[in-house]
Amino acid sequence: MSQEVTLDCLGEACPIPLVKAQNKLKELASGDVIIVQIDHSCALKNLPEWARKDGHNVEIEEVDDGEWEIIIEKA
Amino acid sequence: MPESVKTETSTGGGTSTRTRRPRKPKKSQLKYALPLAVVLLGFGIYLATISPNLSFFWMTGICFGFILQRAGFCFTASMRDPYLTGGTSLTRAVLIAFAVTSIGFTAIKYGAYVQGLPIPGRGYVVPISLATAVGAFIFGIGMVIAGGCASGTLMRVGEGFHMQWLSLFFFIVGSLWGAHDFGWWHAHFMSKGVKIFMPDVFGWFGAITVQLLIIGILFILADKWEQKKMG
Repeated sequence: MSQEVTLDCLGEACPIPLVKAQNKLKELASGDVIIVQIDHSCALKNLPEWARKDGHNVEIEEVDDGEWEIIIEKA
Repeated sequence: MPESVKTETSTGGGTSTRTRRPRKPKKSQLKYALPLAVVLLGFGIYLATISPNLSFFWMTGICFGFILQRAGFCFTASMRDPYLTGGTSLTRAVLIAFAVTSIGFTAIKYGAYVQGLPIPGRGYVVPISLATAVGAFIFGIGMVIAGGCASGTLMRVGEGFHMQWLSLFFFIVGSLWGAHDFGWWHAHFMSKGVKIFMPDVFGWFGAITVQLLIIGILFILADKWEQKKMG
């Protein structure tokens, strides 16, 4: 059964959402999904870029003005 | 609280039930954007009546901020992400920007030189020494913790990111403090360095060649680094 984790990174500046997601992703198994909630525009760039290059499936959804959910499925 | 919607999403291993917030309908921001554009233009015209230079600074400042924000350009990330993620796309973007400005600045300065005019920006040729490196290192620590350098902080203040309102406040405090003690630092550390204006050392053509060569080498290294770290 694949797991789904939500990471609340609202109000956290740039490198923190990325580092949190990297650490959390290490604990998860392949096929698990992690949803990172962010509101810092910078994380919108580097988080998907890193996750895609690392080989995971990434989806970005703008849930509100200036608020996004980065959905990463571990490969 | 908005009502949650369940969506079935198939993932690699099986089927997961994901709860998502329903997407809010996008509000049109045109009703803010148009009046703001009028105000910005109007103020620009007003500044032009005081001094054309002021108006020019106003316009370039706004353009610079707009491009930074839309492009997601971040000097902090360009220095931090190679270590954190191995990604160097922003690092290379900054290097390209340096290369373009180097050529532009050389053109302006050489233009003044051949006409026998004083070279603009001579006053900004400041001594470099170990103090420069130490200062840069301290600034680097600060900008990663604060989540942005000067332009990045300003840009995110505009985006409404509250934590960086705090960054801006202390950025101003720090700048004022630095300005207050600048004389002491200058007398004891900065003036001990050497002043180098590269065209004096290499000649005009040599200076731009050396500069572009260094940028080119850094660009190649950044590219290689990304391939090594990210595959």
